[in-house]
Amino acid sequence: MALRKATTIPLQSGAADESSALESLVRQLSGPDVEERRHAARNLANRPDAAAVLVSRLAQETEPDVREAIATSLSAIGGREAVEGLIPYLSSDDAALRNTAIEILQHLPADVASHVDGLLANPDPDLRIFAVNIIEALSHPRLETWLSDILRNDPHVNVVGAALNLLSEIATAAVLPAVEQARQRFAGEPYIDFACRAVEKRARES
Amino acid sequence: MPEPCISDVDFTMFRELFYRKTGIWFEDGKRYFVDRRLSERILASGKGSFRQYYQKLRWSDNGAEWQALINALTVNETYFFREVHQFECLVNSMLEEIAQHKTPGGVIRIWSIPSSSGEEPYSLAIYLLEKWRKLSEFDVEILASDIDTEALERARAGVYSARSVQYLPKEYLLKYFTPLPGDQYQLNEEIRGTVAFSRINLADPQDTGMFQNIDVVFCRNLLIYFDDISRRRAAETLYDALAPGGFICLGHSESMSRISSLFTLRRFPEAIVYQKPIRRAP
Amino acid sequence: MKRVLIVDDAVTVRLYHRQILEQAGFCVEEAINGLEALEKAVAAPFDLYLVDVNMPRMDGYTFLRELRACEEARQAPAVMISTESQEKDRMAAYAAGANYYLSKPILPETLVRLASLLTGGRPS
Repeated sequence: MALRKATTIPLQSGAADESSALESLVRQLSGPDVEERRHAARNLANRPDAAAVLVSRLAQETEPDVREAIATSLSAIGGREAVEGLIPYLSSDDAALRNTAIEILQHLPADVASHVDGLLANPDPDLRIFAVNIIEALSHPRLETWLSDILRNDPHVNVVGAALNLLSEIATAAVLPAVEQARQRFAGEPYIDFACRAVEKRARES
Repeated sequence: MPEPCISDVDFTMFRELFYRKTGIWFEDGKRYFVDRRLSERILASGKGSFRQYYQKLRWSDNGAEWQALINALTVNETYFFREVHQFECLVNSMLEEIAQHKTPGGVIRIWSIPSSSGEEPYSLAIYLLEKWRKLSEFDVEILASDIDTEALERARAGVYSARSVQYLPKEYLLKYFTPLPGDQYQLNEEIRGTVAFSRINLADPQDTGMFQNIDVVFCRNLLIYFDDISRRRAAETLYDALAPGGFICLGHSESMSRISSLFTLRRFPEAIVYQKPIRRAP
Repeated sequence: MKRVLIVDDAVTVRLYHRQILEQAGFCVEEAINGLEALEKAVAAPFDLYLVDVNMPRMDGYTFLRELRACEEARQAPAVMISTESQEKDRMAAYAAGANYYLSKPILPETLVRLASLLTGGRPS
């Protein structure tokens, strides 16, 4: 017994197998065994046609490890079907599901872009906040416009707060008037004042 | 082009971004180091200012620049007995637990990825021979993988500079190496023969030649280079490669918590490592 | 000195709460999501946790439940913070193991008074 050279590399059997029928992976995804479900979720990462079934399973899956594997695969697949299936989850009572959906959508900026206007106009302020979190990954010029609009017009203090939080990273001098408006609209709110100052500091450095 | 100026706010913003991307956090004391390297990258990238460079990093698809930036900001020099406290942890803590669950005469597998030019897997071999009392009770296989075939060739050849072996105790150098002209040292054939090298791309989802039943993985300073999704998938791949109860060691500034919740954190006296649970709770 | 862990994915919110608490004499550390917070809590348990609900990787409720399952942090006081202010969210927070629930935005005086109360009086 001692150090010995491995003569065979111990390969996994049943590693991601191109020829696995989609149906059999989908069946495993809802099967009784946790490890099998996790492997199925992982192996579906290369199957764009699995987006809908992964989205659907995400809401039913109770094991965090499997949920995570589903989320990773959906982030890799992306596409319209994934996004349209995930957006309703933003309103879910299940905090883990909500936040997993946000996280996946954050990885899909190109697919999400067309939905942003709708989300930002949603009557639920929490949904508007989630929209701000999601657009974090989108390209710069559109971002400032959306965020300035929120600063000028959004009635809810926490939506404005979320917008200010994001602007503190990217603001240019162009947003300063909107920041001043936000400060005045929410005069007396210490957090808003703090966040406005953070944005102004950032903007003035540019 | 004049040297770009990096303000306090710039540093704060950059530090946050770099941390979110790699898990590496720069204390205030590292300011001078970061400013210098960052300025070099800004100039090299052709961006006029920190702000433009920051926007490029944050919002365009920029694997190449992130790679260059991470290289510039991390110490990626490889040498024998680098972060030796993890080897101490291996011998004093991890292998003790693993040995308890193995039948005598069983195989213990240790995987070094990326193995680069071989310093890490060979360090493991030497350390085990010199420091693990129970080596004679088990068969230990050291597997080593890298994406770079040239690095693998250099590793198989086993020729190293004086700089690379400087932290080895003198008696190990005498015992395991043969001096060569040009202040170089070649690792003896017996040690070179104990490591099995292979080419693996951990980030490639198509690369199905993955391993299983590995007891300890050393994956130091590789995952920091990956994007978020690739990193998570790589972590899952490593998890699946591990035997139940197996351990994974990352670089000292890395943390698995940023990456995946599959592993359990284990705090040993010598190091913090991550473990695949022996049995998943129902 | 009493140690507080601020768990929130928004950098401005972390800074805001940090400033308030440091001024009041607390020692503050930060985590940007529940996973990271859990690792920090296990490595060196805190005297108080300030936990946001909506975060990537691991939300606040899940973090709290995991925290309460840890030997080190079963008793540690935790304040849940959220933009949501409905009764069901309040109940969910207490069910997950929170000692208190605050809606954003938070007034400095409120935070300091609550933090002092939950850590047994003056911070140092």
